[in-house]
Amino acid sequence: MRTLRLTLGAAGVVLVLVGVYHLLARGLTNLVATAVWLAGGVVAHDAVLAPLVVLLGVALLPRLPSWSRGPAVAGFVVLLTVTLTAVPVLGRFGAKPDDPWLLPRPYGALWLGLALLVVAVVVAAALLRRHRSGQGAS
Amino acid sequence: MVPAPRPPRERDFTSTLRGPEVAARVGVWLGVCFTVAFLTGVWSHLYQNQPAWLTIPTRPVWLYRVTQGLHYLSGTAAVPLLLVKLYAVYPKLFADVPWRRMRDLTVHLLERASVALLVAAGIFQLATGVANSAQFYPWSFSFRATHYAVAWVAFGALVLHVAVKLPVIRSALTRPLDDGERPGTGLTRRGLVRVALGASAVAVVTVAGGTVPWLRRLSVFETHDGTGPQDVPINKSARRADVVGAALSPTYALEVVHGGTTRRVTLLELQRMPQHTARLPIACVEGWSAAGDWTGVRLRDLLDLVGAPAGSDVRVVSLQPHGPFRYSQVRGNLVQDPLTLVALRLNGSALSIDHGYPCRLIAPDRPGVLQTKWLGRIEVT
Repeated sequence: MRTLRLTLGAAGVVLVLVGVYHLLARGLTNLVATAVWLAGGVVAHDAVLAPLVVLLGVALLPRLPSWSRGPAVAGFVVLLTVTLTAVPVLGRFGAKPDDPWLLPRPYGALWLGLALLVVAVVVAAALLRRHRSGQGAS
Repeated sequence: MVPAPRPPRERDFTSTLRGPEVAARVGVWLGVCFTVAFLTGVWSHLYQNQPAWLTIPTRPVWLYRVTQGLHYLSGTAAVPLLLVKLYAVYPKLFADVPWRRMRDLTVHLLERASVALLVAAGIFQLATGVANSAQFYPWSFSFRATHYAVAWVAFGALVLHVAVKLPVIRSALTRPLDDGERPGTGLTRRGLVRVALGASAVAVVTVAGGTVPWLRRLSVFETHDGTGPQDVPINKSARRADVVGAALSPTYALEVVHGGTTRRVTLLELQRMPQHTARLPIACVEGWSAAGDWTGVRLRDLLDLVGAPAGSDVRVVSLQPHGPFRYSQVRGNLVQDPLTLVALRLNGSALSIDHGYPCRLIAPDRPGVLQTKWLGRIEVT
């Protein structure tokens, strides 16, 4: 166990240093621009997204009936994470006037469809739970 | 009296979902995704750089299409997993710092630094990769070189993190996931792990159609839907490459150069040479891919016109006046391949200008950016 951990640790450090070498080789301007994005990602998660999730958990979740909480949390996780992967297509930021075959779909409407589908599944699962818990109580 | 506000502490987070049980299980899948993305990414980099010590295989013709598709999909799959993993370990950000004892403090700070490196590099890779797939570049660093460099940092930090956390991971994986918990949030730990994997699968399906055509109807967020000129998508139009005038010039001829010998081959002459058809994919580094039936002249037949020895490396040069992919190297084994064509036609009709009219390179198992369009010159190197 100790040998394995030491070997893995050393390999990790070497791999990181390879990356650092490649980063430095691109010059200072590139490095500064990269550092801004490296730090920006951590700040966006640790100082914005994660506290918002904590806030939702404290403020909103207790107000929901207990039988709906599980499905609601599941639906929230799916919709939030999938939406984050779709931000560049939803914004169509990379669209080019001379390439109509890039980003060809009505992504906003499709996102709305996906959101409605998730909400429908959440509501159905929540009602099923309420039905089951009602049966258990009687 | 209201207590004075203070920063949160690790023990303020009371959800039973947060902790090593969920982190270790989601972490295993996240580790798999990062490993696949790292290996296929380095693979793609080798394909694009073609180092002298490496002979890149030419079969199967779809190999790069599959590895680059895996790269794109494993990165997409990692986004929900990373977010749930970070949720599970977020309280650790507020863990007590052992300021008193120098030795403990050093270990603590080193561990925090390694995690910070992993989180920063991990988020960076996923954010830049996802943006790149939609051709969105809101930064000033060089995407390809920087995504490659930070990949080593992210993967190295992951390996280091596993080394540091191995006892915690082993202990968490051998304990039962649900230990009679009464989840206040309505979701059990097992439920959260399943939701993370489910979200990851949904994320993959929403984009996979760009490279796995039978999933297309479900892939609502794919960047290319299989349409394009002649039913094959493009990444750069002739207009944007500033090549329209040169490509449509009535005096166009393809120059084939070997040492002091130069042959100018007109389009009519190209059309009169023996024609061959091959079904080959365009596999874009951004993740999408599509197969087409390409017809044209074998590259090696053209090189015979100038008496180039078999197995010579060549450089193919586009008519486009600028851009990093204006030319590409074709190694000897690929030059000799009967499927390596200077294509004049696609899917039964003459090549459209956006696909590289008058003629383009199309070769098996090769990244799309190296399938040089609007060929002006072929040089034996």
